[in-house]
Amino acid sequence: MTEELKKLQWEGWHHSFRGPAKEETAAAWRKPEMDDRRRTARRLCAALEAEKPVLFPGEIIAFTRTMSAMPMIYSPEEWEEIRKTHYIHELGNVSNLSPDYGRVIRTGLQALRERAEALCPGQPVTEEIDAVLKLTARYAAAAREAGMTELAQVLDRVPARGAETFREALQSLRILHYALWCEGNYHNTLGRFDQYMMPWLEKDLAEGRETRESAGELVKAFFLACNRDSDLYPGMQQGDNGQSLMLGGMTPEGGDGYNLLSDLCLEACGELRLIDPKINLRVNRDTPPEVFEKGTRLTRLGLGFPQYANDDVVIPGLEELGYAEKDARNYTVAACWEFIIPGKGMEIPNIGALSFARVTDQTIRDHLAECRNMEQLKEFLARAIREDVLRQMEERKNLYVIPSPFLSLFFDGCLENGRDISEGCVYNNWGFHGTGLAPAADMLAAADRMVLGGEMTAEGLIAAMDRNFEGAEKLREKLRHDCPKMGNDDGAAPYAAWLLHTFAESVRDLRNERGGRVRAGTGSAMYYITHAEALGATADGREAGVPLPANYAPSLNIRLNGPLSLIRDFTVPELREAINGGPLTVEFSESVFSQEDAVKKVAQLVRMFIRKGGHQIQLNTVNREKLLDAQRHPENYRNLIVRVWGWSGYFTELDRCYQDHIIRRAELSV
Amino acid sequence: MTGTVFDIKEFAVFDGPGIRTTVFMKGCPLRCRWCHNPEGLSPAPQLMVSTAACVHCGACTRACRHPEKCTVCGECVAACRYGYRKIAGTKWEADALADRLLRDSDFFEDGGGVTFSGGEPLMQWPFVREVIRHLPGIHTAIETSGYARDEVFDEMRKTVSLVMMDWKVSDPEAFRFWTGVSQEPVRRHMEALCAGETPFIVRMPVIPGVNDRKKHFETLADLVQGAEKLIRVELLPYQKAAGAKYDMVGMEYRPGFDESPAPRMFPEVFERRGIPVRQFR
Repeated sequence: MTEELKKLQWEGWHHSFRGPAKEETAAAWRKPEMDDRRRTARRLCAALEAEKPVLFPGEIIAFTRTMSAMPMIYSPEEWEEIRKTHYIHELGNVSNLSPDYGRVIRTGLQALRERAEALCPGQPVTEEIDAVLKLTARYAAAAREAGMTELAQVLDRVPARGAETFREALQSLRILHYALWCEGNYHNTLGRFDQYMMPWLEKDLAEGRETRESAGELVKAFFLACNRDSDLYPGMQQGDNGQSLMLGGMTPEGGDGYNLLSDLCLEACGELRLIDPKINLRVNRDTPPEVFEKGTRLTRLGLGFPQYANDDVVIPGLEELGYAEKDARNYTVAACWEFIIPGKGMEIPNIGALSFARVTDQTIRDHLAECRNMEQLKEFLARAIREDVLRQMEERKNLYVIPSPFLSLFFDGCLENGRDISEGCVYNNWGFHGTGLAPAADMLAAADRMVLGGEMTAEGLIAAMDRNFEGAEKLREKLRHDCPKMGNDDGAAPYAAWLLHTFAESVRDLRNERGGRVRAGTGSAMYYITHAEALGATADGREAGVPLPANYAPSLNIRLNGPLSLIRDFTVPELREAINGGPLTVEFSESVFSQEDAVKKVAQLVRMFIRKGGHQIQLNTVNREKLLDAQRHPENYRNLIVRVWGWSGYFTELDRCYQDHIIRRAELSV
Repeated sequence: MTGTVFDIKEFAVFDGPGIRTTVFMKGCPLRCRWCHNPEGLSPAPQLMVSTAACVHCGACTRACRHPEKCTVCGECVAACRYGYRKIAGTKWEADALADRLLRDSDFFEDGGGVTFSGGEPLMQWPFVREVIRHLPGIHTAIETSGYARDEVFDEMRKTVSLVMMDWKVSDPEAFRFWTGVSQEPVRRHMEALCAGETPFIVRMPVIPGVNDRKKHFETLADLVQGAEKLIRVELLPYQKAAGAKYDMVGMEYRPGFDESPAPRMFPEVFERRGIPVRQFR
């Protein structure tokens, strides 16, 4: 059944039911007297009313989008006015959070509606709940009409009431998740699925309602549904939809959370081979090798996940930032890799980015000539980093986020305190990515050896950089191949460690206007393209135009010694201080996996990274020839999956610059 | 003591158990027609050029100071902005190489270690032995054709943790035709391995039209039958990309056999006799 559904879905059977949203519907909410929460509610109601039930033959988990996004709650003029006086993050909606699905699935929307009414009658969220339940009723009727009685019965119960069975819980989750997208929230993650869903599975297994096999089918049906409308949620690129899902890891009480459902999820992904949900796996130094091997089997398939996160580093790192112990233990990831807390964080982990490469390059250009030693250069650089983050903080004042009454249901205390999630929650921290750390370390290493080491003058180096090394080819090669490189275990790692620590120190005392802190990270998101374009030739021998590496990875124009040196270097920095996340990204050639025991070896490698104190790692299995051929004949490679920056997408759906970057990375593959 | 190495590969997944670093020793007395590491043949450092990718910008020609005869000075390597030129063959001191390898030793738990490959590592055995002496407690493996002097081979067997030895061609005359050397020492050393105490793996490169015959498989099976320390036989089918690097070292790839058919495999010859066998893709 799953295979047939997958085929129908892949071929876009349901696309014929899709229609565009009508701009004139906006008149129903763009009224001067209507506040923003009410507008959001009316917009969601209109979106759900416009939906028509579409049922795939024989499907177990229903709900399919047929309408594209509704017009926003503001007219262009109103929005323009708001932007004049506020800082708007990305599209302005709440995004990139981890809702507490478990509580809402357990409680049921009806009970939450009653609570809302008791607290404040007629508040916008009651309209929204009603609209969700109305659409569910229409789906139930359609299911009955189609003879899908069991599905109809499930829809009769959830999400109105608390789910009783695993199937009901999955259906409820599907509807709730769907409604979040309809409300205008995006990068709607799925959080610690194996933790919050396990109680229902356990009960069903104990009471004989499900077996391991039938439960696996249900998981697959749910995962399949996650891929159904995701093309409507493109993010920065198609595939960047934020549907991340976390498995394993420590429970809030301190136990080991890896369970049967974690296994079923990994298995389901291996069978489906689709880009959603994007699997993350929490591990620690004592995680048994078998778990890494299960993850590596997915890596071998070229899915670009799981991405691993290390509890040994992340939990203490979060605690140092002020997260309560139980919350720190309960972390998951945002759309890509940023560590956030389910049901408690209204965090904006991608609000800014420090371009390590740019500040380092600028400092070398401005100050290297007056420095006699590295300590002096570091002083200038530390000042430049501090100035950069202060400037970014200054630009991010008077934040406005479009409210989300429905999403607020999933967050601690929002309903009870009459607070919308857009206004904040228990944790209101911000995160800054850190791009180009390795090239910046390489620049420092090169400047140290060549200029401070007395081989040449700063003026000579900078003049050569300004000429893009024209006529200075030997110097360029020396910089590129004879100077230490982050990733080759030849002396560049201490510079990277210093840079990262300095970044963390620079944001340590900062507080945003909501009282939240600022977290330093090692991620790049899409900045690796723009930050590279803003650079000329650099002191590490990199010519103008050469891209920066994505995330936490070595420079792209060097010869790598191999993954062992790579892992040694990339575990030198104190990554507990880089708790905004950002994975070491390693590319493996497909041929590595031609023998079965390679799975074990790659799993060992990942485990070594974790044991050495790495915070996060993602692996991509690539075949460069295949990627090049896919650029020439995209029609033959529609299902070719690659890891982009923090998510897996279909290669042929990416813009050329991202495709080219992946091919370049593939040249450095193991 | 110095040796010449043409590559050091971390995380070499095909060269023995666990996570390993492989050292490729330069120089080989054999001239197997299917050899895919032509830069491993000559014992001397040599220039390698990615001729297929070259954009003919002329920078290397302008930088060259010895147009009459290459001295492997490396001027042109520095001149190539694309990194398409390199020198294959680096001189290492034994203790320096050992230090380099020991850097990886924290990854060698769970059965990993160091592998010496080539080329033919036994051609530089005194050096390899010296490196191994500096690697106490590290699992060491060697990939060899088996072509060496008897005393070298014997000493090697008693030194390393694992031997991976080729069995290329069974018929002695055909062996000489396809590899350029006598099979006699190779057969002797295979017998020594079978009777010895060192764990070993036998690798069969299976080349279409050269040795993809059942009889060849049976000859090896006869040889290794009952060998107590044999871990398994590995079947390595000929890869069509074998000739890719010849151009880079200024050689012509003339295999002398038809590369196109997939080689025939007879793993059942070993399976039937209870000899563990693994087939590579």
